[in-house]
Amino acid sequence: MAIQWWQILLLTLYAGYQILDELQIYSAFSQPVFAGLVAGFIMGDVTAGLIIGGSMQLTILGVGTFGGASRIDANSGTVLATAFSIGLGMNPEQAIAAIAVPVASLMIQMDILGRFTNTFFAHRIDSNIEAMNYKGIERNFLLGALPWALSRALPVFFALSFGGGFVDNVVGYLNTDLKWLGDGLSVAGAVLPAVGFAILLRYLPVKKHLSYLILGFVLTALLTTVFGNIQLLGGAVAGVAKDFAPMFTNLPMLAIAMIGFALALNEYKKSIAQPVVVKDHSQDTDEGEIEDDEI
Amino acid sequence: MTKSNYKLTKKDFNQINKRSLFTFQLGWNYERMQGSGYLYTILPQLRKMYGDDTPELKEMMRTHAQFFNTSNFLNTIITGIDLAIEEKEGITAKDSVAGIKVGLMGPFAAIGDSIFGALVPTIFGALAANMAVNGNPIGAFIWMAAQIAIMVFRWKQLEFAYKEGISLVTTMQSRLTAMTNAATLMGVFMVGALVATMINVHFAWAPSIGDLTINVQNNVDMIMPRLLPAAIVGGVYWLLGKKNITSTRAIFIVLIISVALSALGVISK
Repeated sequence: MAIQWWQILLLTLYAGYQILDELQIYSAFSQPVFAGLVAGFIMGDVTAGLIIGGSMQLTILGVGTFGGASRIDANSGTVLATAFSIGLGMNPEQAIAAIAVPVASLMIQMDILGRFTNTFFAHRIDSNIEAMNYKGIERNFLLGALPWALSRALPVFFALSFGGGFVDNVVGYLNTDLKWLGDGLSVAGAVLPAVGFAILLRYLPVKKHLSYLILGFVLTALLTTVFGNIQLLGGAVAGVAKDFAPMFTNLPMLAIAMIGFALALNEYKKSIAQPVVVKDHSQDTDEGEIEDDEI
Repeated sequence: MTKSNYKLTKKDFNQINKRSLFTFQLGWNYERMQGSGYLYTILPQLRKMYGDDTPELKEMMRTHAQFFNTSNFLNTIITGIDLAIEEKEGITAKDSVAGIKVGLMGPFAAIGDSIFGALVPTIFGALAANMAVNGNPIGAFIWMAAQIAIMVFRWKQLEFAYKEGISLVTTMQSRLTAMTNAATLMGVFMVGALVATMINVHFAWAPSIGDLTINVQNNVDMIMPRLLPAAIVGGVYWLLGKKNITSTRAIFIVLIISVALSALGVISK
C-alpha cells in the first residue's frame, strides 16, 4: 500500500472543500482538472493527475447541475482514480474507466443524501424565525456546510483507507488474466469525452447554429491533421539530418477558440443592430427613446 | 406600523456581496432550495430596515425563507431589485416582492445556467482539459483567472441592480438575449472543434479480401479526418434522445460498448 496517511488526510480535506468551493465562489478549484492537479501533486505525479483530471473534465463537459439536479461527481472520481493510479501503479486511462467513472456515479447518492440532510437545518431556521433568534438563523444556515462537505470527504476517506487492497487485486487482474478488459477500459477512457460533448449538444441550440458546429469540426479536423503531420515530418527529418531541431507545436486550441469568439462577436453585433433598425422604421416606441437617452 | 427611513449604504452592499459570494448555497435543500440562503444574505439589512423584534420583520423573514432557486451567479441582481423596492415601500410591498422574486428567478436561472453553468465551463474547461491531457497545467490556471473576473462581476451587479431597479429587466432584455445567442454560437463551434481533437480512438479493424488487406482507418481518413469521433458523438447524441436515457446511463452504455468493440478488435486507442 503506497498511499501514506498524510496523503489520505490531504485528499480528504480537498474532497470536502471542493464542493463548498463549487457552491460558493466557484474558483474552478472544484473542477476535475484541478482535482487531478491537486491529487497528482499530493501523490507526487502531476502529469498522471492531469491526464485523469483532463479526461474526466471532458466527460462531464455538458453535465450541469441545473435547478438542483445531481450530476455524477467527477471530482471525487478523479481524486480516487488519481490516488490509486499513482499509488498502485495503474495506467491512467484504465483508472478513468475502472475507478473514476464508477466512483463518480456512485457518489450521486451521496450528493442526494447531502442535499436531503440540509432540510433538517432549513426547518430549524423556520423555528428560529418564529423565535426571532437571529443568531440561530445564521448559525443553522452556516451549519449547512457540514452535510455538503462530509458527503464528499467521508467516502473519499473510507475508500482511500480501506480500498487499497481491493484495487490492488483489480489492477493485477487487468494486467494479466483480463488484459482484454484492461485494454478495453483504456479505449473507453478515450471515448468517454464523447458523452460530454453529446450532452452539451443536447443542451445547446444545435439546430440553429448547425453551420458553426460543422465549421468548428471541419476546421479543427483539418488543422489537427496538418499540425500532426508536420510534427511527424519534423521528427522524421530530425532522425536524418543531425543539425535539424524540430520546433513544431500542437494545434493551439486557444487559436481555434478565438475564431469561435470572432464569429460570436459578429453574431452579437448583428442581433444588437437589428431591433434598433426595426424601431426606426416602425413607430416611435418608448424603448427607442430610452436607449437614446442612455447614449 | 414601523416604516423606518433606512437607506442602504456601501457597507450594506459589501456585506450582502460577501454573504452571497461565500455562503449563498450552503443551506441548499430539496424543500426550499436557496430559500434560507436568500434570507441569510439580506438578514442584517432586513433588521435595519424593519427594526429588531417587530412583527414586520418576522413577516418579511418568513417571506424570504420561502422557496427560491436561481443561478448563483446572478442571484444578487434579484436581491438588488428586491431591496430597492422594500426600501421604498416597506412591508406593503411584501406581495409584489414575493412575486418579483418568483418571476425573475426562472429567467435568471436560465441565463446564468447557460452562460456560467454551461458555456464558461465548456470553453475554459475544454482549454484546460486539452492542455492537461498533454501534462500542462497552465490551462487550468487560465480558467481560474476567468473565474476571478466573474467573481468581480458578481460583486458589482448588486449595486447596479439596486440603482436600476425594475427597469433593468426590461431595458437589458434584448441585450442579454443577443449575448446568450452569441455565447451559445461559440459553444456550438467549440464542441465541433473538441470533437475533432479530444476523442482519440481509431479503427483497428483491417479485413483482408484475398491477398489485399484494407486499412479501414486510412480509407476513412481520405474521406474526412476524424470521422469516427464525429460518428461516436452523433451516436451518443441520438442515444440521449431516447426515453429513459440519463447522462449517467449513457456513460455506462458507452463504457460497455467501447470495451466490447475493443475486445473484438474493431477500435483501439
